[in-house]
Formats: sequence, C-alpha cells, structure tokens
Amino acid sequence: MSDHDHARTAKPMVEEITDFEVLEIALRELCVEKGLFTAAEHRVFTEYAEQIGPTPAARLVAKAWLDPEFMKLALADANTASKEVGVDWLDPTGFGTPSDFVAFKILADTPKVHHVIVCALCSCYPRPILGNSPEWYRTPNYRRRIVRWPRQVLSEFGLELPDDAEVRVEDSNQKHRFMVMPMRPEGTEGWTEDQLAEIITRDCLIGVALPKPGVTSNVITRTRPAIRPIAE
Amino acid sequence: MIDVKNQDLGDSDELRSPESITIDLLDDIVERNQVWPVMAAKYGVENPLPPWKTSLDGLCDVLDRSCSRDELGFTFKERRDEEDALSATRYAGLPYPENQLVSLAHSLMERGVIDKEELLARLARIRARLEA
Repeated sequence: MSDHDHARTAKPMVEEITDFEVLEIALRELCVEKGLFTAAEHRVFTEYAEQIGPTPAARLVAKAWLDPEFMKLALADANTASKEVGVDWLDPTGFGTPSDFVAFKILADTPKVHHVIVCALCSCYPRPILGNSPEWYRTPNYRRRIVRWPRQVLSEFGLELPDDAEVRVEDSNQKHRFMVMPMRPEGTEGWTEDQLAEIITRDCLIGVALPKPGVTSNVITRTRPAIRPIAE
Repeated sequence: MIDVKNQDLGDSDELRSPESITIDLLDDIVERNQVWPVMAAKYGVENPLPPWKTSLDGLCDVLDRSCSRDELGFTFKERRDEEDALSATRYAGLPYPENQLVSLAHSLMERGVIDKEELLARLARIRARLEA
C-alpha cells in the first residue's frame, strides 16, 4: 500500500469486516432486544468512555503543585478539588455510575513514602478523573504481584526507588478509589500549569512512574500472563 | 428485565468453572484470528486499539448497571472474575480487548441470556449488513 502512486489524503484503515466487530454489535443488539438496556443508554455510556482521560487528574496535580492552598484541599477533600478540574466525583456522568463508588482520596508522596494503586480484586480505578485503566492494570499478574513484591514490579516499569523510601500499595475497592499525588520534580521551577500538566502522565498518577522534565508519555510494559492464574 | 425463567441459574458450580462449556462458535472466531494487532499490521494502521473498544466499554458499563439488581447473577464482580478466568485459560491466545469481548459473549451464553443459534444468525445478518 505504501507503493501507491497517489499522495494519501487519509490515514490507512482496516478494510475488512472482522469477526470481533461483528460480535460486539451482535451482543449489543441482542441485549437491547432482550430488554437489558436500551440503545440510548448504551450510547450514553459509550460517549462517557470516549471522553474520559487523565487530563483532569494531571491538571489537578499541576494546580496543587502551584497553589499550596489547593494542595491542602486536594489532600483533605479530593471530591471538592475534583470539581475544580471539572469532575463531579459523585455524579461524573450526569446519569449515575455503573458502580457505586463514593469515596475518592489523593495519596501524597513524600521523599520517604511512595504510593502506588491497585485493585487486587478486579480492576477498580478512578475512571472519572483518570480515564479507562491501561490493560496491564487489569491483569491478575499486576494485581497479585504489586501487593507482594511492589519494588520488583515497579522496577519492571523502570522505577527504582531508594532503599530508605517506603512503598505503600493502596488497594482500591468498590467504594474507595485512589490516585497518587507525586512530588514536583526538580528542573520545573517557573513552569506554568500547562507545562507541569504535560509531564504528569497517567503512570505517575497510578504510581508506577515519577514525573520528569521531558517525559510526557507512559511506560510501555509487556503484559505478562499469570503463571498459575486460576486456583481451583 | 429478562426472561430467564427456564434457566438454571442456581447451579453456581457451573458458573464458577467457565471452561465447563464448549462454545464452538466462539472457538471458530478465535481460530480465524482477525485480532486487532494482526489487522493493524496487515493494513498499516497505527491505532493501538480497535475502533469497537469504546462501544465494548459502554456495553460492559451498561450491563454492570442493568444486571446488578436482577436475578441474572451477573454483577460487575462476576463479569470481571469470569473475564479474568476465561482470558487466562480458554481465550489465553487472544489479545486485549478481544479477550474481554469473547469472554463477555461466553458469560452471556453460559447464563442463557443469548443462545448459540440466535447469535449465529445475528452474526450472519450483521456481517451481511456491514458488507452490503
């Protein structure tokens, strides 16, 4: 296709109908016909899934780095702080949430304490403010090992912590969701909120990376299957 | 909300071992392997995830809300547990989110929400529609 003579005006697309896209439509249509939900309800949830992302969370942290009063608010009352970046934690969609989480807490890192979040049971994640979780966060392998061997797992993301820093793994659950407030790195003196927000990546807010000037993308990590995934 | 009177939903042992049933039609889909990484490479597409991913997210979310209060026994926790179990075993060869989609189909069929014949017929109808 790259040998084509004409200049391309559009990006390439998959030009065949895959079984998976057909299956997704089929499940959805059959569920609607059986009355499990309406097509309109599905559309609303899909639009929600399309518009959420880590931007409000990055903005919240950047604001907190620049404004000590906002930092205090974020750590004392994360729900109110979330509203200042456009996320109403208790009603993020305007039409209810699929699960009934109510509590949201922001965990502040210090030179001696590093936080990382997980949901050991399933894949609870602060979606309203951080978007959909990455694939690796959902895997049993991450969920199980980060609790047992946090330093080893963090090192797989390229994060080596000093021996004298304590690692706290915070387990999310149906009611409680967490996000990490990393420390502002050196080399960002005089930066604007926009500049700071750029280096506050999703990974930093989960706690598997630390913000660093010049780094604006997430770590790409291999998703490892669990060795003994299912206990009988 | 859904007519499940004829389904034996009380047999929780069966629901706990999702490998207990064979769903040929899903196995056929797995075998044809039109997974996104293969398709993306074949057509030179750069998107890391297939275009139907957010619709699947919406489908999972709306099911979690609508099924959590009825008799289906298909809460968020059950859906995710079965997805993890199936993705690690029967559908271990599929990438994400294909494994999430096929696991969801498996769970819905195992519960009798959707039966094999109607799904087969619907897949054919939708394919014909999309290829028209």
